[in-house]
Amino acid sequence: MSSALISLSNLGFAWPGQAELLDIPSFTLQRGESLFLKGPSGSGKTTLLGLLGGVQQPKRGSILLLDQELSALSAGARDRFRVDHTGYIFQQFNLLPFLSVRENVELPCHFSRLRAKRAIQRHGSVDNAAAALLAHLGLDQPGLLQRRADQLSIGQQQRVAAARALIGQPELVIADEPTSALDADAREAFLQLLFAECREAGSSLLFVSHDQSLARLFDRSLSLAELNRATRLTEI
Amino acid sequence: MYLLRLALASLGNRRFTALLTVFAIALSVCLLLAVERVRSEARASFANTISGTDLIVGARSGSVNLLLYSVFRIGNATNNIRWDSFEHFAAHPQVKWAIPISLGDSHRGYRVMGTSPAYFEHLHYGRGQSLQLASGRAFADAPFEVVLGAEVAQALDYQLGAELVLAHGVASISLVKHDDKPFKVVGILARTGTPVDRTLHISLAGMQALHIDWQNGMPARGAARVSASQVRSMDLQPQAITAMLLGLNSKIATFSLQREINQFRGEPLLAILPGVALQELWSLMGTAEQALFVVSLFVVLTGLIGMLTAILTSLNERRREMAILRSVGARPWHIASLLILEAFALALAGVLLGLLLLYLGIAAAQGQVQANYGLYLPLKPPTGYEWRLLGAILAAALLMGCVPAWRAYRQSLADGLSIRL
Repeated sequence: MSSALISLSNLGFAWPGQAELLDIPSFTLQRGESLFLKGPSGSGKTTLLGLLGGVQQPKRGSILLLDQELSALSAGARDRFRVDHTGYIFQQFNLLPFLSVRENVELPCHFSRLRAKRAIQRHGSVDNAAAALLAHLGLDQPGLLQRRADQLSIGQQQRVAAARALIGQPELVIADEPTSALDADAREAFLQLLFAECREAGSSLLFVSHDQSLARLFDRSLSLAELNRATRLTEI
Repeated sequence: MYLLRLALASLGNRRFTALLTVFAIALSVCLLLAVERVRSEARASFANTISGTDLIVGARSGSVNLLLYSVFRIGNATNNIRWDSFEHFAAHPQVKWAIPISLGDSHRGYRVMGTSPAYFEHLHYGRGQSLQLASGRAFADAPFEVVLGAEVAQALDYQLGAELVLAHGVASISLVKHDDKPFKVVGILARTGTPVDRTLHISLAGMQALHIDWQNGMPARGAARVSASQVRSMDLQPQAITAMLLGLNSKIATFSLQREINQFRGEPLLAILPGVALQELWSLMGTAEQALFVVSLFVVLTGLIGMLTAILTSLNERRREMAILRSVGARPWHIASLLILEAFALALAGVLLGLLLLYLGIAAAQGQVQANYGLYLPLKPPTGYEWRLLGAILAAALLMGCVPAWRAYRQSLADGLSIRL
């Protein structure tokens, strides 16, 4: 097993009928590493995350996730592989409003046997795992687990989303602008909690944002524009 | 199982639209089942109106017309048959029993029928049930006695011993009343669910007595008037009756006797087989009944299309929900199953609520329907046919659920994990 969690080489992608959007000669994310990927909107970062999630297929090149070539898997197998090994946090409205906080956190365990198994191994049960993660993220008020997700503040919701991404210790956590709806103080606090939990779970963190001020908190920082030859060409 | 939980939770989040949809389906299901029930009960009670009678004989007209006035007390005879014709066939070696029927008068909208005691003995309905007296006795030789059908007694609140005045003609408001010759209630029949319930039965002698002094369709005046006490000593043998019901010794003789009656030289007569005429009549009404059924099927379809619309319109606002589910590992077929489950859950809830409404409705309206239409709607569990109808509705809902499922499947493939809003 190599130390690289993600490794892209010679990756090219274009939406049908459009010019090439992504052209990434090489990119790696190490195990346990936290990486800040700076990308303004329209730079193809959502597409890159789609490729890493196996939702889109590259036109050429290879995507290795945990040494598994994603394009070698069927669509169903890619879906399964994604939920087994990746947790997602999005910008806002990450949660299903009609489920309780606890049910939201446990969602991935219903679709991934591997993550349910890991959660049970570590905490005894999926319920315990959810409660422990939420407690670590500062959400241990009594009765909170049973509340509907949409009754929480935005900051609390993002922490619930983080707990959901981390349950069952996926190797990779992908965060797409998770802090943009939070104010400046809350951002850093949220990130510190996220780092601590990723370390605890042994997960790598791929953090995509346009907010350069957060970059200093990460092991490494990259700009998508540096990676992507396609954008450089269009900018000239 | 977890998908079902998700589908229900998501529906719960849209409970107002969901409830409206369920209610629309429930109403349509209730309507369909009610129409189906009324239809089958009407058909059954229709076919059960008369049984055991082999031939109905009247003046020559149409078979449906004869059936209508002799059995259903609807419409009027165009002509009478002579009493000696009745005697001729009543004495026929193949005839086991004969019931004379004489119509033409009414009491507050209910028909009055003159007949003989043989009526109570030989008339059968349903599966060979005979008429039963709920109280009192059949009329005797005394002319001014009347036996009421169950509904007449109930609706007009007549007890045994009550006196009532019959009206000439069959209009519900009659200007000419036989008020000089009141009748006394001596018996009340048990409920049969047939037109018998809506009939007042008097003896042929009574019928004759009412009209003995009439000339040219008008009551006599002054000295020509015959009083009730005078009439008792007179000969009350009727000259004519409206129709007769015949029971034969052997069913095999039915057709030969029918032919004999139809070719009777004494006067033009018509003999019909009640079963055949009932069929003929039902096929007339069958069209309306079928139309009603088809209309209610379309109402169900409308209910289901309403559901489809509700689900389809919700799809766009639920793209985020789908994307979140995809990001936590739901595969596109999970998303599609969710929508099919949703459609099925809505339809199932609709069907169950519809059944509940149906039974509540039957329980509430049972008495009214029986009193007003003579139709008994039993509170019985759904029949095999009704279960199949309900199953078909659920199957249709599943099929319809495939439409939003397919769209959501495509949508979730295209949207992937995040949607830009």
